[in-house]
Amino acid sequence: MNGGEMRRAKWLALGLVLIGFGLGLEGTGSSVPQKFQISIPLGIPADLWEMMIPADNPMTEAKVALGRDLYFDKRLSVDNTVSCATCHDPRFAFTDGKPVSEGVGGKKGARNAPTVLNAMFNEEQFWDGRVKTLEEQVLQPLINPVEMAMPSHEAVVAKVRGIPEYARRFREVFGGPNPVTIENIAKAIAAFERTLLSGNSPFDRFIAGDPAAISEAAKRGWALFQGKARCITCHEFNASSPFFTDFKYHNIGIGMKATRNFESLVRQIQHMAQENRLTKEALDRLALSEGFSELGRFLVTRQPKDLGAFKTSPLRDIELTAPYMHDGSLKTLREVIDFYDQGGEPNPNLDGGIVKLNLTEQEKADLEEFLKTLTSDWVRRVARGEIQLAAESTLGNRASSLAHGSRSSRR
Amino acid sequence: MRGTKLLGVVAGILGIAIVATSVERRTIGAQEPKASGGSDRLVVQLCDGETKLEIADARAGEVLPPEKAREVARRMMAAYAEQQAKQVSKWTARDRLTWEREQKRVIEEGYKLFHDWRALGGTIGISCDMCHPDAAATHPETYPKFQTQLKRVATLRDMINWCIENPMKGKPLPPDDPRMIALEAYITSTRKGVPLDPGKH
Amino acid sequence: MWPLKWKKREQEYRRHREEFFEAVKRLNRREFMKIAGLSAAVFTAKTVVPPHSFQVVDVVRAEPQEKPLFRFAYISDTHLYERELNERFVNAALRAVRDVNALDPPPDFVIFGGDLAQLGQPKELELGKQILSELKVPVKMMVGEHDWFLDMGEKWRELFGPENYSFDHKGVHFIVLMSVNEKDFWTERNMTPMERMLTVAQLDNPIQSRFEVGEQGREWLRRDLAKVSKDTPIIIFSHSPLYKYYRPWNFWTEDAEAIHEMLFPFKSVTVIHGHTHQLLTHRIRNIHFHGMLSTAWPWPYAPEGLPPLTVPMERPDPFDEADGTGWGTVDVHRDGYVDKHYNLWSRNPITVAKAYLESWGKEAVPPAPEFPPY
Repeated sequence: MNGGEMRRAKWLALGLVLIGFGLGLEGTGSSVPQKFQISIPLGIPADLWEMMIPADNPMTEAKVALGRDLYFDKRLSVDNTVSCATCHDPRFAFTDGKPVSEGVGGKKGARNAPTVLNAMFNEEQFWDGRVKTLEEQVLQPLINPVEMAMPSHEAVVAKVRGIPEYARRFREVFGGPNPVTIENIAKAIAAFERTLLSGNSPFDRFIAGDPAAISEAAKRGWALFQGKARCITCHEFNASSPFFTDFKYHNIGIGMKATRNFESLVRQIQHMAQENRLTKEALDRLALSEGFSELGRFLVTRQPKDLGAFKTSPLRDIELTAPYMHDGSLKTLREVIDFYDQGGEPNPNLDGGIVKLNLTEQEKADLEEFLKTLTSDWVRRVARGEIQLAAESTLGNRASSLAHGSRSSRR
Repeated sequence: MRGTKLLGVVAGILGIAIVATSVERRTIGAQEPKASGGSDRLVVQLCDGETKLEIADARAGEVLPPEKAREVARRMMAAYAEQQAKQVSKWTARDRLTWEREQKRVIEEGYKLFHDWRALGGTIGISCDMCHPDAAATHPETYPKFQTQLKRVATLRDMINWCIENPMKGKPLPPDDPRMIALEAYITSTRKGVPLDPGKH
Repeated sequence: MWPLKWKKREQEYRRHREEFFEAVKRLNRREFMKIAGLSAAVFTAKTVVPPHSFQVVDVVRAEPQEKPLFRFAYISDTHLYERELNERFVNAALRAVRDVNALDPPPDFVIFGGDLAQLGQPKELELGKQILSELKVPVKMMVGEHDWFLDMGEKWRELFGPENYSFDHKGVHFIVLMSVNEKDFWTERNMTPMERMLTVAQLDNPIQSRFEVGEQGREWLRRDLAKVSKDTPIIIFSHSPLYKYYRPWNFWTEDAEAIHEMLFPFKSVTVIHGHTHQLLTHRIRNIHFHGMLSTAWPWPYAPEGLPPLTVPMERPDPFDEADGTGWGTVDVHRDGYVDKHYNLWSRNPITVAKAYLESWGKEAVPPAPEFPPY
């Protein structure tokens, strides 16, 4: 080699080394995943949050942002009028303020929208626990005729794929040749939902050691909740399980008075089960159909003790999520307390734990005061509109353009 | 006059002497040998009811002359005094008697309450023994434990109160209520010797 | 304003309670249905295990040739107090009656397993009779110790007839046997009738004697059995278990061996007993033993002596006032042996099938609980 070649070779070598070094650095940088930053509110165990992130759906900023935009996107419905946020609206602590939800064309379902807040901690999703994970839950309203009414999951995928912005972002988040799939849509939305946490309420601060955080009446209410009123046995609360639910299903009699043709409903369900027609989709439609809806957990397990049994509702933010019960039949907290005080609604399968409570007026008022202390500061501010989760308001029927909203704020 | 006085004094001394010797005789009489078979040495029991003192130069059943008897008595007193001086424990047999009597009494009180719903303030005729005959299935050795009705780690006392308030439909007892103590005493007495196993479900 | 509101609520509650007991007193059919709640639905699906209140004769596991001959239902150990004192036991008894009435097709008859009253008082027995009279099918009554020891059966006989009797039904010979007699422990102690009753009412009271059929009862049984051929299936209703399970709680019949000797020569004998308020299964040679549930409350399993064939029910949760209680049905097969259904109110129903006992516990094993008895 001559001198010039030698110099070129040296430069080449140096360049290669530098590039190699650069690649190496970049390699080091990208091989250590950035830990997803989230501030877990007071009262929710942080290790529990981490434990409940599924291995196949890790949290990243980009995925959460994508999921958020999908959550608020009305184009996921057949006529671009209904998004997840329609029934799980931040202004109502992620419910919708209606007795039963209304989907496309104002079609009524049969059940009251549960909150998305802390939903990641539920053992199962829906009032009857028919699916286990948040990801599975997303799949159902998309194709339910009384909710978002898309003809099929394929149709949803095709629609999303047809939006170039989404196609690009899905590729970014999920990679691979075909990133827009129904599973990935569900994963993105679920990841966003895992940031919707409720904690740091006045009650949480009281439990953490601040005696002035709640009123004396609320403290008496908390004592009643654990004692005479017998609430805590189903609405479990302790440091390891602070969600005010035992994740079990109980028949307290709601809806029993109105249901007329129980016999034939049950018979039909059992015939369908025999003929293997009770698919996930079929169950989902039955759950939101008048009549069948009242069978509750029985739809899923078909066990006699589950007739008319529904999931114990978590109680955080309960002040903001009226009306109450699986059919929204109780309008106020006071009505709920009265309902339990009278011993629920008698019916052949009433849970043996539901008994008359003989509460005095003062005790009922104290209980109500206590329940009001379960509202998360952050959730209250979101409900008031002081914090925006999506750039565009969810009011109105206009199709929203792609929302690059402000990031969900940390609290 | 002087004669009467003298008579009185003599009588007094005689009386004392008689009493003294008879006392000694009595005490000697009380010293029936309590030792087992073999030795026929005199063995006496001291005032604590437990300690025995062996008198080397006397025989069991032997009637001692007053001098000897006085010597034995002196030795007994000396032994007792030595014992008192060496005593470490402040608690005596008398104390232990009291403790046992009180424990027994409180347990019996607890047994009564366990079987008497009226005494516990129940209002619907359900008593503890209806679900827990002989305190079966009360498992006091498993507390403190996560009590599923209370949804927190709780003690036996908490659960007793929960039962009084719920199935028995009475008012919970204040924690220092003697009835609560009696119930605990009875319930735990039925599981004496069972190893502790807190948290067992 | 406040105190007036409170007073109104308290009055309302008291009024509601008064109404309830007034209605119970009246208890004509319409009133009864109103108290008992909604008329229950009836489910008749055949191959899926139906809701336990509403079972059909075709049991899930029954082979075609093993279709049972007939079915009867049982309600047992209602332990009724006078209504002013305790609503819970009354409501439970009403619920059992309602559930049995909802069976479709209806059972051939209902056996009442004993301990209708809690303290043997006339008012308690009459209340029980009123409640049971709402059953749509015939009721066969059996006496328990709680019914007997206040007046030594005087009121019971007046209301329900003799304590020992037998009847035949579809080829099976049924015997109702008084098995809770006790040797006199009360005279020497100068007990009043109520003291005697309270002694017997306390399960763990050591003063009372052990249950027995007794000499007169055994003689009656001997004469009754003499009329029955050895091939005829026999079903005996007894309040005490007719075997020896746990002496301190009178889960025990002192002269059980003598009774067994009388029964061994028969081809098939089934004993259905009360008193134990729990799921219980036992077998001695040709005799199958099944316990009945109570409607009022469950007893714990005894510390020792549990019959080895018994798969216990899970320990009940006292938060649930119905847990561990219920009623049930019995499917009688051609050979006289039975499938015993336990309709636990807060749990899924449990069946102890004929095949389980016939195979000495190898086949058709009932599900075991996650949390066994302490």
